[in-house]
Amino acid sequence: MAEVDSYRFCGRATARIARSWIERERDPGRLIPWTPLGKPLSECTVAFVSSAGIAMLNDEPFDQEGERRNPWRGDPSFRVIPRTATEKDVRICHLHINPEFALQDLNVVLPLQRLQELVEQGEVGRVAEEHYSFMGYILEERELLAQSVPAIIAGLQAQEVDVVILVPV
Amino acid sequence: MGLVQREIEAAGMNTVTLSPMPDWTEAMGVPRLVGIEHPLGVTVGRPGDVATQTAVLRDTLRALIEMKEPGEVRYLPYKWQEMPGDPSLHPDPPPPITSAIMRRPWYYRKLMKGEIPEE
Repeated sequence: MAEVDSYRFCGRATARIARSWIERERDPGRLIPWTPLGKPLSECTVAFVSSAGIAMLNDEPFDQEGERRNPWRGDPSFRVIPRTATEKDVRICHLHINPEFALQDLNVVLPLQRLQELVEQGEVGRVAEEHYSFMGYILEERELLAQSVPAIIAGLQAQEVDVVILVPV
Repeated sequence: MGLVQREIEAAGMNTVTLSPMPDWTEAMGVPRLVGIEHPLGVTVGRPGDVATQTAVLRDTLRALIEMKEPGEVRYLPYKWQEMPGDPSLHPDPPPPITSAIMRRPWYYRKLMKGEIPEE
């Protein structure tokens, strides 16, 4: 199976920082949570979580001005994205990626239409009504984990979501 | 994203991350991981490339079904053809952290040590 170069699209300086952070994070003794798949995919409700900083046009954007004032702090909040959202309905609030690709076709970061097609072909049970996005440039994850993630989990559970596909950018 | 995945899996759902930086995601200790060599911001495939987007999503779901052990990793074979230096793959202007480090180069050493500077 082909290997993937995790650093091909980073600059050298970013790659060095990423490698040093990765080495610090790595902990072979860490327990990994595990939930066995309880039913066939054709009966599962599937939701996405994206770190592309997607916000609906009628919702509050992520705080990019705050990051411009303090480049070490990214906005740790999250937004709900409905199943029917397309590139015409959203902003991409993420200063570390070129947003143009996602604004041409939201499926490049949040493949809602592709998932809907798999539902129509009977491969997947249902697309969740609500999906979730936060902005992935967060150096200090405490607020994200203490506030946003529990609220996202509550939303997923309220929708009886079985499978979550996380799509970082 | 890896820490978020761990929390969701621990809450009783089945999770898989489709990551363009699988080394990083794997280091967090995630239950299921699919790595793809696509640029940041175009994780699933090019705009309008329905065939690739569908194949990537299907492969990700297949990995989710087939993986039996926590911590499994699968690498997808899709390759990005442009040169990595293609400027359209990077934000313009560069992110605020870039100019902050240019102004205060010692911040780079702090970041290397995992310290987050106060502004």
